[in-house]
Amino acid sequence: MSKVKKNLREYQDFTRTIRDFFYSRQVIEVVTPSLLEAPSTDVYIDSIEVLVNQALAKSSKLYLHTSPELEMKRLLSKGSGDIFQICQVFRDNEHGRINSNEFTMLEFYRIEFNIHQLMDEIIELLAALGSSAPTKKLSYAQVFFEYSDIDILNSDIHDLKEITNSLGLNSDYEWIEDIQMLLFVHLIEPKLKEIPICLIYDFPKQQAALAEIHGPTAHRFEMYMNGTEIANGYQEIQSANDYRDRFNTELNKRKALSKPFEFLDHGFLKDLEKGIPKCSGVAIGIERLYSLLSL
Amino acid sequence: MNYNTSQFKNGMKLMLEGNPCSIVNNEIVKPGKGQAFNRVKFKDLITGKTLEKTFKSGESLEAADVMELEMQYLYSDGEKWHFMDPASFEQFDLGQESMGSALNYLVEQDTCIVTLWNNNPISVNPPNHVILEVTDTDPGLKGDTAGTGGKPATLNTGVVVQVPLFVSIGDKVKVDTRTNEYSGRA
Repeated sequence: MSKVKKNLREYQDFTRTIRDFFYSRQVIEVVTPSLLEAPSTDVYIDSIEVLVNQALAKSSKLYLHTSPELEMKRLLSKGSGDIFQICQVFRDNEHGRINSNEFTMLEFYRIEFNIHQLMDEIIELLAALGSSAPTKKLSYAQVFFEYSDIDILNSDIHDLKEITNSLGLNSDYEWIEDIQMLLFVHLIEPKLKEIPICLIYDFPKQQAALAEIHGPTAHRFEMYMNGTEIANGYQEIQSANDYRDRFNTELNKRKALSKPFEFLDHGFLKDLEKGIPKCSGVAIGIERLYSLLSL
Repeated sequence: MNYNTSQFKNGMKLMLEGNPCSIVNNEIVKPGKGQAFNRVKFKDLITGKTLEKTFKSGESLEAADVMELEMQYLYSDGEKWHFMDPASFEQFDLGQESMGSALNYLVEQDTCIVTLWNNNPISVNPPNHVILEVTDTDPGLKGDTAGTGGKPATLNTGVVVQVPLFVSIGDKVKVDTRTNEYSGRA
């Protein structure tokens, strides 16, 4: 068998295992549009704009999806129940050893799950894919206590700026979440390289993204494998108003940084009028997962 | 001149906290929901220490005026070690603290790499292999030859290197200066 054929077969076995895992749990596979009318609002996720129908004199701008999240949430709001999708996603200004303008994402939503149930299910999925590596599970606050002496949830932006200064790092950041991330990348992530699978949950509320907030933290988690970010999940916020607020927060940051695409996806908010059911969802980078599992 | 994080590459010489440093490793980290950072490992060219810094992508650092020149080691007066650039005949000297492990390997007339920062010498790299003479070692094939087969030998620079049992005083040996290991008879 040629090497190409062998590699293709191996990857097919990998995705087939993922699909079988979800089929056996009655999670429905879906396909959602990847060409959208509105760009991502995330301040640090840039959509790729495409111009269509120019020859028809009906030229319009569309945007390649950066994740299938909102389209899948449209389905959730219509009563789809548990769903999953494996698809290509596209992001501008991402390029490097483990970043690319196009990559494959596995995204799934589980009705009534909290993030701990979802993390358990991810571990079961990894087991189905042949990984028996031990898993470490820590809260965001714990991981900072374990690998630094920073009380991350009780430090305000001035405290964190003092710490970055003492580390000889630039502290010229406008938002506390950016300094939290800087300290995470600088102090914590290198330590995670020793850990095969590390789940980190309960992010500071400033990094809630689209996760439910409870007190100082948000029900958000990430999974790291050998120091590489593999998955990002939330217990999802449910109401259109919450989505509008979160999108506006991000859009205001985009404006502050003079980044393009500062408009809301009104169609999504309208479709979400009735909200989505209580659920948790996660996005997993498939190329990274595949390469780390086959190490 | 300044260099932006997007221009960073291994070996680039930049100013960090007042000292010239060389980039050893440059890793781009883009958190899914965050901005891109560069996590960079530097070697401080003066202290030899390794430093880790994380920059947000787009930050820049001042270039360090660092040159690496091949020079001839002339002599030491006990306090300073003197070198000459064979191209310009310009002479430079370094104190013991800047000599590092080069002290162990340099004999007069040897060629080595001297690093200059703002035209001042800050460090010396000996060649990867040097030939030195054994000035002291236990004689011949004494005792157990089935063991690791090594014995310490003092060389003419004062450095001590493990050598095979057959090496004796007055022999010339080739030493790998990166590992301080014997690598053959010269």
